[in-house]
Amino acid sequence: MDAWIAFARGPLLKIALLTMLLGLIRQGLLQVWEISWAFHRAGDQVVPWKLAIRRNLEWLLPWRYLRRKERITYNFISFLFHVGIISVPVFLAGHVAIWRESFGIGWWTLPPALADWLTVMTVSAAAALLLMRLGHQASRRLSQPQDWLLPILCAFPCVTGFFVAHPFLNPINAQVMYLFHLLSAELLLMIVPFSKLVHIVLFWVSQPSTELGWRFPPGSGERVRATLGKGEEGV
Amino acid sequence: MQVHSQSLPQLSPALLAKLSQPKLTPEKIQERLSYIIEKDRVPDDLPRRFLEAFAAVLQHTNYRQVIDNYARIPARCANCSCACQIYQQTHDPKDVPCYRSNLLLEAYRRHFTLRGIVEGHLKGTPYLTDDLILEMAESYYHCTACRRCSLECPLGIDHGLVTHIARYVLSEIGLVPRALVISTREQLEGATHNTSAIPWAAIKDTLEFLEEEIKDDKGIDLTFPVDHEGAEFLFFAPVSDYLMEAETLMGIATVFYAAGDQNRWTISSQFLDGINYGLFYNDWVLEKCLRLEVDQLKRLGAQKILIGECGHASRSAKAFMKTFGGGKKAPPVVNIMEYTWRAWKDGKIRLRPGAIDERVTYHDPCNIARTGWIIEQPRELLRAFCSDFVEMEPHGVWNLCCGGGGGTVSVDEIRPYRTGVTGVKKAEQIRATGAHYVVAPCANCKKQLREVCEDNGLSDVEVVGLHDLIYRALILD
Repeated sequence: MDAWIAFARGPLLKIALLTMLLGLIRQGLLQVWEISWAFHRAGDQVVPWKLAIRRNLEWLLPWRYLRRKERITYNFISFLFHVGIISVPVFLAGHVAIWRESFGIGWWTLPPALADWLTVMTVSAAAALLLMRLGHQASRRLSQPQDWLLPILCAFPCVTGFFVAHPFLNPINAQVMYLFHLLSAELLLMIVPFSKLVHIVLFWVSQPSTELGWRFPPGSGERVRATLGKGEEGV
Repeated sequence: MQVHSQSLPQLSPALLAKLSQPKLTPEKIQERLSYIIEKDRVPDDLPRRFLEAFAAVLQHTNYRQVIDNYARIPARCANCSCACQIYQQTHDPKDVPCYRSNLLLEAYRRHFTLRGIVEGHLKGTPYLTDDLILEMAESYYHCTACRRCSLECPLGIDHGLVTHIARYVLSEIGLVPRALVISTREQLEGATHNTSAIPWAAIKDTLEFLEEEIKDDKGIDLTFPVDHEGAEFLFFAPVSDYLMEAETLMGIATVFYAAGDQNRWTISSQFLDGINYGLFYNDWVLEKCLRLEVDQLKRLGAQKILIGECGHASRSAKAFMKTFGGGKKAPPVVNIMEYTWRAWKDGKIRLRPGAIDERVTYHDPCNIARTGWIIEQPRELLRAFCSDFVEMEPHGVWNLCCGGGGGTVSVDEIRPYRTGVTGVKKAEQIRATGAHYVVAPCANCKKQLREVCEDNGLSDVEVVGLHDLIYRALILD
């Protein structure tokens, strides 16, 4: 068991982190490259970058959807879920200790009690989001397998991590639970670039991307028609 | 993984062969699409042709980067359904903007990303079928492209843009409402160069008649300036105004007269129609229409494009003139409401307070208000001469569409859908105001709202343009 844990905590963790980081960097760079190319071709190069970024930022805080009548609870829970799923893995004292141990870097950590509450909140929020997806006709019908699986995959490391931090509540062997925690977290990290979790980076460019989408290259319509062999055709 | 390079992957012969197996007969396609296709022009090999058109569009436009982004990030949270007045009416999951967008995004994912292509090979079936393309055609023309849902997407997906792209691809394989394509053909290639096929002689007669009407009403000698060289503004109204919205034109002409700006504007006799259906279905058409406007501007030595009361004509010129009209050197685009508001603010025109006693409300055309372009100016004008002005809720950026946006108002065959589904929430909104006048500064909105009121028991409501009422309130010395 110790060997498994050492492998999961050592090389596998590095592989998982590297997969996520390289995948996200690749997606981010490709998207920035595509946007730059679109900008280069656009006939109108006056792009309201600040406005586009501001629109992105507005969605980070809940005030935007508090103004409407529907789905306030869903969105607020989603906000809480994001707060938890980002803050706990990044600022948990145990995690920062691993960073110090492995890479020699560290940062501010959450007080343990607050981390506990945030973990409970995140798991509860994931469950609530799933139930609310199930209960909303439109969302339920739209959902694809990853929409159901990802909240569970996100919650799993939180649950196992909570038991690792509180061994007296742990119903199974502590080392097995720790291994589950490591493996589930690593699985989650590795699928980030290949699932909709890639919005971690693509979210930041979606509004600028939209702006460029509406900025056409002059003559593009003519070139599309020429490619399709319709150059001489009328309307 | 995405297939990144400036050229797109070659579509494999095996895939194209699979896609070329027709499943629906031309008669069946004609029957299902009815108004979204020209008679006897049913395209064959729909999936293959769709994919080729999609590939060409992705290659030559700026859409691929945005389609790729949207295809990867959707949360499928259905927040957009809260903003969509069509879904709110039907509660059909197929009317959720995210569902509609996914039809095209999935086609992109399956056929233009490595992961999708591998998935397709493993499954052994192509994503695109005749049925799916017909569903796309129906779905994307059920959408009014009002873009209200784009305000609600936490991930920044503009479903209006996806609708625009999908319609563009569909139009390149001949799937476009007959009403739009026939009008556009007349505008770009016909003898009259306008979407309603009105000969210049008839328009000239109309203008002379309106001049007489104004003289009778107001006692002023006013002429509609035609082909005046060197005027500051070249005026483009939707051509339907010359037939059906005479009071709007009279109001605009009288504002110029009252402001002492008779010589600052002109109409071109060669191309006067501001309608630009390209915004609704095809970028080539969009560019052609705007270039015709610029040609007239150069011919007459004018400096600015002035658009009349028309939402899509205003947006297509305002948003795309820089693209097709010379970048930073492109002529500025001004909407008539901006001009009138400025003239009023500068004290060049005066409006009689209390000129309109009946209750008045204002409808924000999506193409003018959704981006926050013109919202307060018309309200300030209305408050200046209406004693009982009330707002619709919601309004401004968050307004509800008239229900006939995205060119659907021009399709008479779907009037029951427009007034019985897409326009119902608007009817409820109007009813709640108790207004007698609904001011809609857009030719399409006016037509749609009149039909909405007629079909939803709002017989006391009168739909008018902003300048129709300004005409009544103007103080002429």
